[in-house]
Amino acid sequence: MSDLDRQIEQLKKCEPLKESEVKALCLKAMEILVEESNVQRVDAPVTICGDIHGQFYDMKELFKVGGDCPKTNYLFLGDFVDRGFYSVETFLLLLALKVRYPDRITLIRGNHESRQITQVYGFYDECLRKYGSVNVWRYCTEIFDYLSLSALIENKIFSVHGGLSPAISTLDQIRTIDRKQEVPHDGAMCDLLWSDPEDIVDGWGLSPRGAGFLFGGSVVTSFNHTNSIDYICRAHQLVMEGYKWMFNNQIVTVWSAPNYCYRCGNVAAILELDENLNKQFRVFDAAPQESRGTPAKKPAPDYFL
Amino acid sequence: MVFNYSLLFLVKPITRYQRVKVYRLNDDGKWDDQGTGHVTVDYLEMIAYVIIQRSEELALFVFDEEDNETLLSHRISPDDIYRKQEDTIISWRDSEYCTDLALSFQENTGCSYIWEHICKVQRNMHFNSLNHETFHTMNNELRELPAVELSTLPIILKIVTESSLADQMQLTELILNDQAFFQKLMDLFRICEDLENVDGLHMIFKIVKGIIMLNSPQVFEKIFGDELIIDIIGSLEYDPFVPQVQQYRKFLKEQAVFKEVIPFKNPVVLSKIHQTYRVGYLKDVVLARVLDDATVASLNSIIHSNNAIVISLLKDDSTFIQELFARLRSPTTSAESKKNLVYFLHEFCSLSKSLQMGQQLPIFRDLMNEGIVDIITDALQSEDKKIVLMGTDILILFLNQDPNLLRSYVVRQEENLLLGLLVKGMITDFGEDMHCQFLEILRSLLDSVTFTGAQRDTIVETFYEKHLGQLIDVIILSCPHDEASTVKWLFLIICRCNFLLNNAIDKVLLLTQRREKYLVAAAVRFVRTILSRHDEHLISHFVKYSLLKSIVDAFVANGNRYNVLNSAVLELFEYIRKENLKLLVKHIVDSFWNQLVKFEHLPSLQSFKVKYKQFLENCGPETNVNAPDRRKRIDERALEKEEEDYFNEESDEEDTTSASHPQKVQSQPVLSNGVAVSCPSSRPRSGGLVDYDDEDDEDYRPPPRKQTETSEDDEGSMESLGLKRKLTPKEKEPGLAKKQRLGKSSKPRDSVFAALCSTLSQAVLPSKKTANAMHLSTQSGEENHIEKESGSPRSCDNKSPNEGNLREKESPRNCSEYLHSPSDNRQLSGKDPRSLLPSKSSPEMAVNGS
Repeated sequence: MSDLDRQIEQLKKCEPLKESEVKALCLKAMEILVEESNVQRVDAPVTICGDIHGQFYDMKELFKVGGDCPKTNYLFLGDFVDRGFYSVETFLLLLALKVRYPDRITLIRGNHESRQITQVYGFYDECLRKYGSVNVWRYCTEIFDYLSLSALIENKIFSVHGGLSPAISTLDQIRTIDRKQEVPHDGAMCDLLWSDPEDIVDGWGLSPRGAGFLFGGSVVTSFNHTNSIDYICRAHQLVMEGYKWMFNNQIVTVWSAPNYCYRCGNVAAILELDENLNKQFRVFDAAPQESRGTPAKKPAPDYFL
Repeated sequence: MVFNYSLLFLVKPITRYQRVKVYRLNDDGKWDDQGTGHVTVDYLEMIAYVIIQRSEELALFVFDEEDNETLLSHRISPDDIYRKQEDTIISWRDSEYCTDLALSFQENTGCSYIWEHICKVQRNMHFNSLNHETFHTMNNELRELPAVELSTLPIILKIVTESSLADQMQLTELILNDQAFFQKLMDLFRICEDLENVDGLHMIFKIVKGIIMLNSPQVFEKIFGDELIIDIIGSLEYDPFVPQVQQYRKFLKEQAVFKEVIPFKNPVVLSKIHQTYRVGYLKDVVLARVLDDATVASLNSIIHSNNAIVISLLKDDSTFIQELFARLRSPTTSAESKKNLVYFLHEFCSLSKSLQMGQQLPIFRDLMNEGIVDIITDALQSEDKKIVLMGTDILILFLNQDPNLLRSYVVRQEENLLLGLLVKGMITDFGEDMHCQFLEILRSLLDSVTFTGAQRDTIVETFYEKHLGQLIDVIILSCPHDEASTVKWLFLIICRCNFLLNNAIDKVLLLTQRREKYLVAAAVRFVRTILSRHDEHLISHFVKYSLLKSIVDAFVANGNRYNVLNSAVLELFEYIRKENLKLLVKHIVDSFWNQLVKFEHLPSLQSFKVKYKQFLENCGPETNVNAPDRRKRIDERALEKEEEDYFNEESDEEDTTSASHPQKVQSQPVLSNGVAVSCPSSRPRSGGLVDYDDEDDEDYRPPPRKQTETSEDDEGSMESLGLKRKLTPKEKEPGLAKKQRLGKSSKPRDSVFAALCSTLSQAVLPSKKTANAMHLSTQSGEENHIEKESGSPRSCDNKSPNEGNLREKESPRNCSEYLHSPSDNRQLSGKDPRSLLPSKSSPEMAVNGS
């Protein structure tokens, strides 16, 4: 069994890797990710997953429902980390799978794959707590910069974490983004990761999130038409039913963190597309309490002050 | 903003599926329409939701869509009274209203969603009620608590877990008024534990949990007192939903080790230290899954204020600090206790952040005066990597506090021991790898957007003189094949110092020959950053030595692969085009078009060629680059000389045109570098230089990077945001362009440093918060304020209101981070949130962007 396979097995048990292993894994991942494009081509059949947010045991439910990688081809739409208790294990497992099966799993960047955001929403603290230093956080956030910004499934389904940008009317325009950077506070790259579709907006509106935009149905219609795509698949917003169509089936939100933050009471969904792009949503619930370990916030046993 | 998704969900207009009509069966057997309202789901009681979960109690609520009045509140019953009809109706016999009620949903999905929820709640209730009976007939008015006895536990439990919001306040009062309440409850707990009365223990668990969830500071003060806290934590070992009993007390008593490296004489200090640890344990372990954000925030603020108290008590105890340092220095102190002392020092420094802003700096100064850096210098030479790590962490804490503290030390230190150690650390492979720490320290020492001054400049000189060569050598040596990561980190540092060492540019560009694409792309980014300085001199250097050739070669070799390298080079071309860097546009097309032509199908290259033609057509006077003769002169000279002369030439013109400033200022580093070389112990002279530098800074103190950023980053949005586009080309041009140049030129190194940190460098951003997990309400309020004043990224401003609830206190640490962090060069910089927001929200904005 190769080191990598062993690491994957270990991560599947929700045991984090050693710091040096993380470093090595990240370097390998970097070489793979640097070759991916800003609009990464993905072949069907594929299973699309939305936000995970460090809910490791719920992600295991996801794999139960969707099948294991590499048997199932996966596309994850970002927001792997923050909020949940196991961001480290969650992201490292996905990353290890990426390195092991680069063509069977695609990871694109969410707005939480960011240095700033992870310092506020938990990933930073988790790394510090689990490793005693933030080097692992540094390696991971470095990798975040290399994650692709979007995916295009069989030229027909545009997938992105957040949504559209007023700066982007054609997919080709995404090409000239040098994505290897912290998520900016505005501009095309920011919008792709931050925007939300919104019923009441016609055209573009100010986002209450403070980054990205709200965009209405007409924007989606014209984008889909210009780029000859069938619909947009995105994540980024909690939907209680796990998925939600909008604008006459021109855009769908997929949310894959059941009982978000361990208390929102929502179900989660993944979207399975077969080779003919037929859709099937699979809805799943949070992992039962018993199957989760105790929270991993182990304090350092020694204290001086 | 940042994403209390669920809250956002709530605050936002409620979606269709939540829309319901409420019907009530009247005496005539007909359904009366009670109104239309919204049904949602959440766990917060304060906000209007359909299903409210407070402890174990759940209820259905419907709020009128017009006036938000409660149309219906219905506690979900464990009995099988609910019926679902025709996919859109849920009805039941309601015991409180004494009639049949029905909800008619606008959409099937809403109906099935609520239905599932009811079923789920019922399942949970059945599970819960196995142990004890639930009391459904509680009087709404809570007047007194029953005496705490085994027999009354069910009633107390009921009161604690099923109180309405108003009752909770009443309950808090009652608990606080009864002096002996907790004592009695804990006595009872010990009895139950002795008797192994599991039901009793489970009830006490729920009662204690419920009381903690009341989130009352006065209650916390009581239960976290020395007498009670261990028992309280003990009672939380008996979670009825967890099969085995937890061992929290055992951990606290046996595994957790309090290391008192220096005896604390003050009992308050001791007590607070223990309390802090236990409250942290309660929060992070015992109740980690249970606490809501508000309670977590309260616990954090207890921890935070305890830390502040401990630190200030110790600080005021002068004998304590002296003894600490005496032991650290003493040759007789054992290695083990020295290690612990360093750990202690680290904790002491990081907890100092709990103090109010104004009180922090004095502590660091005191430590400085006591000689902490000598201690750290020792630590950095330790065999024990952990100690080295502690040493670097402490340095980072100092730099975050005030970089000049450390700079002044480095300047004073005769042999530059520390700087040397840092550089050595950077290029040494540590196995467990601490490059990032060393990198970050060096960055802060050298780097400066917010700080300038003599000390930094002296350090920069020393760094060039003694250490830059080492780093460059590593790059060169690594170019066959080597630890790529080391090179990468190194590269980062080099990036920051590019200015002027022109041959350094060539060497860095050797990276384009590396196999690792990410290094090649990093080299591209390096060039991109240099160009963003709009420095004519550097640009002509690029042209003269055809430095872009290696980039073009790499691009061509990459072929049609659409990857990061491809995007980075295209972005570079776009930048050159949009910035009208005429000289470069011409140079690139003239020299490399035969190579690039096969990529002509790419829109970026098409536009580039178009730009080239435009330049050829209108050869009128250009704004940016129009000094061919000057260049010519320069070309004839040797490199170093050239720069110096250039500098002189420009300074002659100093006050005539603003446009000349870029060159002038830019060349300063050359000079200071030159000075350093010719005059190694150059304090006086460099001091003079530096003063000059400062003056310069004062005169031109535009937000250093703002304009630059606008120009590079808004490209995207400008194009589609009609509004911005309208402004940019014409009206904005004259004034802004000038300002831009000023802005760019005035802080030469700074802007380089700032701009240069390619995104790689963000890796070094975070440690500002090192180890300080909790940000406290008081302080964060303050910082927030500051942060708003100074125009931090808009996201920070917007965050707190939305997010406040789901998160622990929304600490603005990441925001204040931006203020200090030069590494987020492009986006994070000083864009004023207000200047952006209005423009985006203005009416023009609403024009569709498509």
